Amino acid sequence: MSFGRFYRLIADNADVIGFGIWVTIQLAIVSMMIAVILGLIACLGSLSRARILRFPSMLFVEFGRNTPILVQLIWVHFAWPEILGIKFSAWTSAVIALSLQSSGYLAEEFRAGIESIDKGQIEASQALGMTYQRLMRRIVVPQALMRMIPGILNQFVTCFKSTSIVSVIAVPDLMYQAGLIVSMTFLPMPVYSFVAFLYFVMVMVIALGVRFATRRLPQFGYFNQRHGGE
Amino acid sequence: MQLDQPVKPLVRLSGVWKRFGKLEVLRGIDLDVNEGATVAIIGPSGSGKSTLVRCLNHLEPIQDGAIEIDGFLITPRGVEKSGRLLGQREVAKFRTLLGMVFQQFNLFPHLTVLGNIIEAPTGVLGRDRAAVTEEAMDLLAKVNLADKANVYPARLSGGQQQRAAIVRSLIMHPKIMLFDEPTSALDPELIGEVLKVIGELAIKGRTSIIVTHELAFARDIASKIVFMDAGLIVEEGPPDKLLTSPKLDRTRAFIARIL
Repeated sequence: MSFGRFYRLIADNADVIGFGIWVTIQLAIVSMMIAVILGLIACLGSLSRARILRFPSMLFVEFGRNTPILVQLIWVHFAWPEILGIKFSAWTSAVIALSLQSSGYLAEEFRAGIESIDKGQIEASQALGMTYQRLMRRIVVPQALMRMIPGILNQFVTCFKSTSIVSVIAVPDLMYQAGLIVSMTFLPMPVYSFVAFLYFVMVMVIALGVRFATRRLPQFGYFNQRHGGE
Repeated sequence: MQLDQPVKPLVRLSGVWKRFGKLEVLRGIDLDVNEGATVAIIGPSGSGKSTLVRCLNHLEPIQDGAIEIDGFLITPRGVEKSGRLLGQREVAKFRTLLGMVFQQFNLFPHLTVLGNIIEAPTGVLGRDRAAVTEEAMDLLAKVNLADKANVYPARLSGGQQQRAAIVRSLIMHPKIMLFDEPTSALDPELIGEVLKVIGELAIKGRTSIIVTHELAFARDIASKIVFMDAGLIVEEGPPDKLLTSPKLDRTRAFIARIL
């Protein structure tokens, strides 16, 4: 295939590809935002002394981490409507599955972050009259979150790559749009090559940004210390 | 002159035992601390000094005996008031009666110095933010840290961190101040500035209990010195007596080693 024909192919389908990229980015961002909140709740639940909170939280975390994303996606999309009696759009199913997976991993990272907080911090808070809830909210979780920033960003990269799987339930992400173009043009080689290149560039840019941000972090307030976030 | 006028102790420990598993850290402690008194606790490391102080604000539960503090009673069951066991929230409230200064300062690294100081009075006691901030700046000026109010703790020296930590306790207006080896983690040249703040500001007009290795300082400020060894109070008395003519060889040997 000549460069001219390749250029025409891409230019003619630029809007289809562009829409796919937009859906992919949206999926990654929305899923991650939900996953951070869910992960934090699940983490606090699994650290709780109350068994009624701890057990379901741990189950949630382990399920999210120990089942393949494809299985979660298919399960949510085809089984949940029957279990819950509500019909989801493919986009909603995709967000739920991606959040489920990411929140499992994030919960583990949060837990490690919370457990890394010096015990002296907790004792100082208690000595100042803070209740467990207050010292978690005001002292422990904010410090853990700051330590978790690199972990959250890395999980975002993983989540971004995982979004390509949602094409199997016809969410019009970049991968799905590429399939559409192939079925219209019968040109899998140039289309999929270009899509691979696009994913590579996008993920590379995000990963570089993450690395840059992580390296810059130690220069800000709280991180500006001898043994701050790595 | 009524020499025998009874002074009711603000803190009274009777037969306090503390165990970590099989390790017996406190083995029946009896101690009275009168209102307004400054008690210095000295003794070799591992003698249970820190644990004793940490039992007073219930950071460590006790296994036997009782501690009376200003109408509250700490027993192996927890903290009680008028015979009723207090819940988590009430225990937290009880702790505001006592301020505590730690060996490792334990400032909150994600808050500025000012943020550290106003966190508990505004959050726990619900006091007005503006008024608390004003008081905080006033206290910071007294400990020579006025220019560090908006700096994060990591940027401060150990001595500065400990002075900020003392202000963080004082702003809660505790009835009793506890110091757990407040200068042990400091470089020698920074110890003086912290002792000065403790002596001139923190213990003024306040019942205080200080665990320390600074015997000269203890002599200057304490109304009573308590010598602990192996989980027991082996000797106590006024500073001049205890430091210059101790009754027991153990005490004498310890003092000779430190001085």
